[in-house]
Amino acid sequence: MAFLEINNISKSFGKVEVVKDFKLQVERGEFVSFLGPSGCGKTTTLRIVAGFEPPSSGRIVVNGEDITNKPPNQRDVGMVFQAYALFPNMTVAGNIGFGLQVAKKSSAEIKKRVAEMLELIHMSDFGGRYPYQLSGGQQQRVALARALALSPQVLLLDEPLSALDAKIRVALRSEIRSIQRKLGITAVYVTHDQEEALSLSDRVVVMHNGEIEQVGTPFEIYNFPQTAFVANFVGTLNAVSAEVIDPASHTLRVEGMNIQAAQGLDGKQRGDKVMLAIRPERLSFESEGKKANLLDCTIENITFLGSIVRVQVLIGDSRLDMDTFNNPFLELPKIGDKVKITCSREAVLILNH
Amino acid sequence: MSVLARLRKIPFWSWVWFILGVLYFILPLYATLDFSLRMQRDTLGFRSYEKAFADPQFIKTFTYSITLAIATIIASIILIVPTAYWIRLRLPEARRIVEFITLLPFVIPAIILVFGLIRVYSAPFKIPFTDVVLLQSLTTFKFGTNILVVAGYMVLGLPYMYRSVDTGMRTVDVRTLTEAAQSLGANWLTIIVRVILPNLRAALLSGALLTFAIVVGEVVLASFLGVPAFGPYLFLLGQHRAYEPAALSFVTFLLTWVAMGIIQLVTGGQGQAAGAH
Repeated sequence: MAFLEINNISKSFGKVEVVKDFKLQVERGEFVSFLGPSGCGKTTTLRIVAGFEPPSSGRIVVNGEDITNKPPNQRDVGMVFQAYALFPNMTVAGNIGFGLQVAKKSSAEIKKRVAEMLELIHMSDFGGRYPYQLSGGQQQRVALARALALSPQVLLLDEPLSALDAKIRVALRSEIRSIQRKLGITAVYVTHDQEEALSLSDRVVVMHNGEIEQVGTPFEIYNFPQTAFVANFVGTLNAVSAEVIDPASHTLRVEGMNIQAAQGLDGKQRGDKVMLAIRPERLSFESEGKKANLLDCTIENITFLGSIVRVQVLIGDSRLDMDTFNNPFLELPKIGDKVKITCSREAVLILNH
Repeated sequence: MSVLARLRKIPFWSWVWFILGVLYFILPLYATLDFSLRMQRDTLGFRSYEKAFADPQFIKTFTYSITLAIATIIASIILIVPTAYWIRLRLPEARRIVEFITLLPFVIPAIILVFGLIRVYSAPFKIPFTDVVLLQSLTTFKFGTNILVVAGYMVLGLPYMYRSVDTGMRTVDVRTLTEAAQSLGANWLTIIVRVILPNLRAALLSGALLTFAIVVGEVVLASFLGVPAFGPYLFLLGQHRAYEPAALSFVTFLLTWVAMGIIQLVTGGQGQAAGAH
């Protein structure tokens, strides 16, 4: 049995169903991210787990106990908010110790725990300061310490880094992950930032229109997207329509040229239309060692993006992006040149829908 | 940059409007002060103040009004804070209706309010269709009348208190603070007492100050309900004396200023906090 079970959760606001039959099992100590665009239902699902929103149907089980009907203050679930939500009238120590005071812990115990938490977030000298005397990053670290002080069974983080600037965001996300690993706490993290989700999580849940599109490790989500939405939302992707030529040999036809995939044509018939996807970094120019899946194309545009060069090519009416690493000796064709590009069979992904 | 250099950067017309504004507020006050000091011919002195303070009615009515003001402020906070809090948290759709209700005292004159109160509460309140009296006529005994006066003052102060509290709640984002406190195990009472009220200090103080000013100067309700309040006393004094009412008016202004100063002092840190957030 999983540590956190989200069983068939649905939620409607009036006639609008914002979460549809959401099912997820999270293991103890696992870090799971809900990733999706605004309005996909990820925050609502998190708020249902926290107890701030009642589900229209479904159950939430933590460590074998059904907490669906428990009020938020009895769930033993910590939460970190996007807007920090530190109590402005309390010092940093007061904020961290608030939950412990509510739990009627002794003052010595509170003092000890607050000191531990301050050390954990590397802010031991900041206990006496008020939230308005801290930077955004520091406030969010205090919010994290406050949520962890009570050693909750599950830690929920609702886009905690969205309000911070890019540099602090990267630093703080590593810190969040390292603290989570150190404490072994089960964490659910909501974000619309794919880089954040991929870099932090053990597993990523990609959501779209209130439904789960795909659940998998960051590696699986990026390299083997199951749907067109996941493929498009996570990373850059070339999606092209193709026709099945020979399901047995996984051969497809794209713009009059044959291309072979490694898998994904099970159950398909000759003549079926499918959507295939290739990541830009999996495409390359034809060379001695690369002779499979050759596609004739015309160079349409070349853009330098620092460490990589993005080459846009036209294959018939389809436009594909190809990324190649930049180096000072790179010889690139010119715009309008006719060239051949290639990719491995494994790079050709067949999307389900 | 020095203060002088900063002041020089302020545009000419800003200065003109600022000075006109200051004159608009200061001149009547200065005139009142000047007049109150001229009770004795050709000399400036505090004679009018001495006479006003020496009147036992002044102390009596002033103490009574302050007591009523404090009672009104406490009752208003008890009524309005949970109401505004719940509307922000759970019933945002009710906000327009409540805002409309809070504006009614601007539209309905106090005279209508007082006659309404007298008409409803001058008869005993019985259980419908029986002769069982649930509540005595409130206008027939002193405490009952005081309750009516406080209730009337609460209505008059409603627009100011509600708006102050509502604005305060918007500034500190009570919804997220509530959820944060809930996730830390706090119940409703703890949340209101330890999180919401302390963060509404500035809003509550400004609402309280405005309510205080209204209650201390109010005439209509107090006159018709026949209570010994400061407003009717000042009004009567003004009909018979010239200098003492001016002196007392100035004292009331001063009291208001002192109260505002206290608010600034007490809430200075919180204002900073809200700004930073």
